[in-house]
Amino acid sequence: MKTRPNWPLRTGIAIVAVLYFVAIFAEFLAPYEHREQQRQTPSAPRSTIRFADENGNFAATPRVFGYRMADALTQRYEADETRSAPMLFFVKGYSYRLFGLFETDRHLFGTPIESPETPKAHLLGTDALGRDRFSRLVRATRFSLLVAPAGTILACLLGITIGMISGYSNRFVDSILMGITDAVLSLPSLIVILAARVAFPLELPPFTAAVLLIGIFALTGWSEMARLARGLVKETLAMDYILAAKATGVKPLRTMTHHVLPNITRPLLTQAMLILPAFLLAEAALSFLGVGLQEPEPSLGNMLSAAADIAQLKLQPLLLLSPALVIVAYVFGVRLIGNELKNDDR
Amino acid sequence: MLRLLTRKLVQGIFLILISSAITFALLANAGGDALSALQDNPQVSRETLDNLRRVYGLDRPMVERYAVWLGSAVRGDLGNSLYFRTPVATLVATRFGSTLMVSLAAIAISLGISVLLAFVAARFRWRWLAAVNDFVVLLSASTPRLVLSLIALTILVQLSLTETFVAAAVVLAIPLISLFLAQLVDGLDDAMKQDYIRLARAKGLSENVVILRHASRATLNPVLTLVGLCLGALLAGSVLVETILGRQGMGSLMVAAVRNRDIPLVMGIVLVASAAVWLANSLAEVSQMFNDKRLRDAEAK
Repeated sequence: MKTRPNWPLRTGIAIVAVLYFVAIFAEFLAPYEHREQQRQTPSAPRSTIRFADENGNFAATPRVFGYRMADALTQRYEADETRSAPMLFFVKGYSYRLFGLFETDRHLFGTPIESPETPKAHLLGTDALGRDRFSRLVRATRFSLLVAPAGTILACLLGITIGMISGYSNRFVDSILMGITDAVLSLPSLIVILAARVAFPLELPPFTAAVLLIGIFALTGWSEMARLARGLVKETLAMDYILAAKATGVKPLRTMTHHVLPNITRPLLTQAMLILPAFLLAEAALSFLGVGLQEPEPSLGNMLSAAADIAQLKLQPLLLLSPALVIVAYVFGVRLIGNELKNDDR
Repeated sequence: MLRLLTRKLVQGIFLILISSAITFALLANAGGDALSALQDNPQVSRETLDNLRRVYGLDRPMVERYAVWLGSAVRGDLGNSLYFRTPVATLVATRFGSTLMVSLAAIAISLGISVLLAFVAARFRWRWLAAVNDFVVLLSASTPRLVLSLIALTILVQLSLTETFVAAAVVLAIPLISLFLAQLVDGLDDAMKQDYIRLARAKGLSENVVILRHASRATLNPVLTLVGLCLGALLAGSVLVETILGRQGMGSLMVAAVRNRDIPLVMGIVLVASAAVWLANSLAEVSQMFNDKRLRDAEAK
């Protein structure tokens, strides 16, 4: 028995758990609505937050300071120390339904809405339309973190089914199925996904887009799983306990589901952990290219397309690329979990 | 050797047929054809549309259209791009070179770094270097090309540079390092435990010769397979890298084709991409034969 705590695994699970927590409580964590535009403050920098009031004296509650646009052409901002507002927790904001059930207007943090002059808390600044980038980022996790796992599950089911049929069948069926699998496997993934995407209208509402992407991922991403499952099934079918099962008259389908499948789940799960980040990246890529989730709905990919604005990228690269950090964190977390699953095999 | 080549040729034809047939079926059925945009135009009557369809052969059954497309594709005619209004074949040919050069540079960079790290680790067996290698593998595997290209773009913008070749090659190379380095480290580790290595050492060969002449021979083949396989990943990766860095290549061509629903161009790119991937795989397999006599013998039997 191993008693040593498995830190890589724990770190991986913690990262993924935090991201899903954010996705579930997105409206509560976001101080503003993801579609709300403030045309007076486009491409604004991060809000200044200090433990001090306007006169520079220490204050126990942090205060958010205002800024005003100094130059509309270059969108340069300068600090406006005369306006400030306290940063409060569980503050009243726009109303939403938590989990789609409970109507509430409380948000984790924000500034009280007193007048239009009250400075707003923009942790990551605003985008070109004056929308709060932090609120959009929090909201963006939802689409990406739903589509990728759903696509993975479907692709795995499809791949395992094809692999198991291929592994159990005679040589003729096996060679045809594996021929197709190898063909799909060797093609460049993103080019195939894009080719499949062309067959459908380019602009789609969010729900249709999600369903379509999940479908495309499943149909193009099953091949690795099928190859792996087929090899494992062939290996397992040669075992004595399968012979014993057959001898006692267990039907083929039951042999596969009750005797073969339970013994090959570990490597299959490890493979699924490799597919998951690939699909997250594919979704981000499609949304980035404008054929995934479309504006005004935020996704990690389409938020990154703001980086096409070279002038802004030069001014505030870190703010523009903040969605990339979330992508890297998720991929890293899933990889850590996958790595540990693989290492435990030995 | 001849048998291997025939087998690879049959596989290649099978691969290209399947990929193009699936793409053709998908694009022919789901999204309407090139003329469906005219349907909403009140000045175009139903008869004109039907006539046009007949002229372009779009009223024929799909299998027949696929056969016609395949027939002209074999003769090197991939039709005309609807968006660029030039033959698809010339368009793809001009763009392919740029992507291929960057891909080769990326393979060279990633192989160079991986080979260096793996050999130094095998030669000196420093603990910290093994840990560094593990970390490099995990890090390069989990930084996606989308993020890498954006970082590269940011750096180029901050430094006001416009030359993108090196940046594109490095961005494409970094994820490959995890692939090559993991394979090389594991392979060398394995090889160093074999009896023939003990024999080589017992003969009094220096450690450098043992690693470079004996252990590396055994690790070469899986790496060659990976090099052959990675062209597909590079073509897929070029979609984002070229779009973000503003390079003209296969990847950005694909994006243009998708955005403008240019179906002949999409078909052409899929065809050329699958042919290129097949060619790379075959080359890798043939070169393995030159490295390993056992494979040649097995094939001769």
